[in-house]
Amino acid sequence: MTTRALQPRYLLIGIWLAGLMLLGVVFSEVSGGFLPLPRWGVVTLILALSTIKATLVALYYMHLQSDRKLLVLVALAPVLLIVLACGVIFSSRLVRL
Amino acid sequence: MNGAHAAATTTFGTAPTATGIPNGKLGMWVFLASEVMFFTGLIGAYIVLRMGHPAWPGPEGHLSVPLGTTNTLLLIGSSVTIVLSLAASQRGALPAARGWLSATMLLGSLFLVIKGFEYAAKFSHRIFLSTNVFWSCYYTLTGLHALHVLGGIAFNGMVLASTRNAARWASRRQRLEFAGLYWHFVDIVWIFLFPLLYLI
Repeated sequence: MTTRALQPRYLLIGIWLAGLMLLGVVFSEVSGGFLPLPRWGVVTLILALSTIKATLVALYYMHLQSDRKLLVLVALAPVLLIVLACGVIFSSRLVRL
Repeated sequence: MNGAHAAATTTFGTAPTATGIPNGKLGMWVFLASEVMFFTGLIGAYIVLRMGHPAWPGPEGHLSVPLGTTNTLLLIGSSVTIVLSLAASQRGALPAARGWLSATMLLGSLFLVIKGFEYAAKFSHRIFLSTNVFWSCYYTLTGLHALHVLGGIAFNGMVLASTRNAARWASRRQRLEFAGLYWHFVDIVWIFLFPLLYLI
């Protein structure tokens, strides 16, 4: 695929990013009674949308989708550490409860 | 590696490396990985502090969602323009690459201007870094992110300056890809900061 042919894809992903962001704003604003979800459900939903957006940027704008696997490993290394850190944070929270 | 991106990487004329990845690009990714951990530490501290305060952030912790949303749209737009700049550079359309890169710098600058207005509004209400834990977190997270945006604008400016001389640009064009990687990282950090600070 030529770089010129990639332009529509870049624009489409930009539209998706903006749309998902606005969806998160709507979820946040209507969650006060209108959305049949508990507070933690809304938080999970909004953070899941952020994760999807970050993944789209990394895969298509930072070209991890088509780049060498070594770069994917470099990019995933901190993500694994983040998962570990989250595990420690939430397990600590559970222990305190 | 495949497609236009692979072709572009090989036509940049960088010296062959043991990994098959230009050293500058690998170095940028390792740097970004360390930056991810830097912001993870800060965001993690924010989450832990927030989980310890059931009424967080309280009535004094109101932030303008429309301003935050506008800033997010600006950064998303700047990610689109810088990737279009890279695509233009890869097909040899230097004027277009310069135009998209300038647009990226403009959008990044607008982000900082809006952030400045937000800060000014809080300062006018005598809300500072030391007001309470929420505002300490807010100013620390957004301030460090804004410094990264400023650094990204400076980086983009240096790349833009090097496009003036075509001969010089031929040996330095891969810096646009490095600048793009950094700029996208700054965008990703804001993608998480915006909901954590403004929405949740």
